[in-house]
Amino acid sequence: MADALIYLDYAASTPVDARVLDRMREVADVAYANPSSTHAAGRLTHEIIAAAAAQLGGLLNVDPGTLVWTSGATESDNLAIAGGARYRAHRGKHIVTMKTEHKAVTDVFDTLAKEGFGVTWVDPDANGLLSPETFAAALRDDTQFASIMFVNNETGVIQDIEALGTICRERDILFHVDAAQAVGKLPIDLGTLPVDLLSLTGHKFYGPKGIGALYIADRPDCHVEPILFGGGQQRRIRPGTLPTDLVAGLGMAAEVAAASIESDLEHLRELRRILWDGIGGIDGVTLNGDPDGFPGILNVSIEDVEGESLLLALEPICVATGSACNSKSQEPSYVLRALGRSDMQAQSAIRFSVGRPTTLDEVEFAARSYRDAVARLRELAPGAAA
Amino acid sequence: MSVDPYNSQVRTLFAAPMHAGIVAGGKTVLVSDQGVRVELAASAENGQLSVMRFRVWGCPHLVAAAEWVCRHYEGGPVSALEIFPTARIMEDLAVPTEKTGRILVLEDAIQSLGRSLSH
Repeated sequence: MADALIYLDYAASTPVDARVLDRMREVADVAYANPSSTHAAGRLTHEIIAAAAAQLGGLLNVDPGTLVWTSGATESDNLAIAGGARYRAHRGKHIVTMKTEHKAVTDVFDTLAKEGFGVTWVDPDANGLLSPETFAAALRDDTQFASIMFVNNETGVIQDIEALGTICRERDILFHVDAAQAVGKLPIDLGTLPVDLLSLTGHKFYGPKGIGALYIADRPDCHVEPILFGGGQQRRIRPGTLPTDLVAGLGMAAEVAAASIESDLEHLRELRRILWDGIGGIDGVTLNGDPDGFPGILNVSIEDVEGESLLLALEPICVATGSACNSKSQEPSYVLRALGRSDMQAQSAIRFSVGRPTTLDEVEFAARSYRDAVARLRELAPGAAA
Repeated sequence: MSVDPYNSQVRTLFAAPMHAGIVAGGKTVLVSDQGVRVELAASAENGQLSVMRFRVWGCPHLVAAAEWVCRHYEGGPVSALEIFPTARIMEDLAVPTEKTGRILVLEDAIQSLGRSLSH
């Protein structure tokens, strides 16, 4: 096991499920026509896309017509936030989000701030949670848009989307949820959950990369302005020819997830328990996030150990220091800094993220390796705790 | 796209830092700056560095650089500590330019060790 890669970075991306790959191959062979074409081949492609929308709609309990295909969560977030805030701008230009959101959200808020929107950045508590009271206090009479992520990509913290969404509904605020880390991993019933816009991506739940979706609730004054232009596809909200095989793959990933979500969660809880049992007792270890967070993610900091060296010492275990999208940065994680962690604590943070294929042996090996690496690096460091 | 941030020499030196440790009875200096800590220790006999060791709190490039300098200086004259081969270390270990400051902390530690051994 020591020589083989041990992949514990499922929050960054997941392998494509074999059933998904089979479906994509099958579709790529036959559905090469443009789904907008009215001839028989085009209609076949169109039907395949409609079937995928039904599969994804089934996972989320929504009408397939409420789903817009995108290239992934980043585009979905951009479309939802820029498109939603601009659509509602005539009613008010105050928008709200959290400091711990993904860059695909925060960067769009920064862009909107330059366009003249007023932005309130809400702080989480020390566990990364946002209380409904704190959220409500950030809202103003002119607030028209809010975006809160479902599961944090670095810490696994799960926000109370139902409570936050209810507050938005009471005030008629357009409510977007970045659910890239939640869809296919946690049960989500958009038939009852008060969410207006929800972003997701295929590659976080064993689907292909390059395909995602945005859910747009069928409610009055719930709409987004397009951010791409060039055709009439997808009701002009997101024009462009759809990649049929990727769409079909995402649909299949949704169907697989719908059938296995509970057993997956049970498996992840067991893996996280073993991992935490193995490293939680090390002197100076801190859990980053909520103990009751998403079990697929375990983020820990360690005193007296430098994070980059820890990451290398852990090879061949593939883990993350921050979110993968930001891992080239030398800066400590802004998410962990928002939780009140010191630069040192944030810099030493390691995110273990486990998935459906992860074995008990792998997490036991990872825990042992972490203990050994910490001991070695502490021995290497001057003035460190023994 | 990601490329391996460490060349093979960094990986080798980081994985097996033979000179990590302390020198009982020797001179020890500690320099802390740029968010890293470098401790160098050495003993000298007849103007020669007989034993040299390091301890580092820092990134893999710095750990590798500390091992590199110990191999470079150990067995040579104490006076050699006056010259620090920054450019050669940066090139050999392919140290990213944004980490130059950390290598300069190592240089400070080497110079401090030189002064300590000369007194």
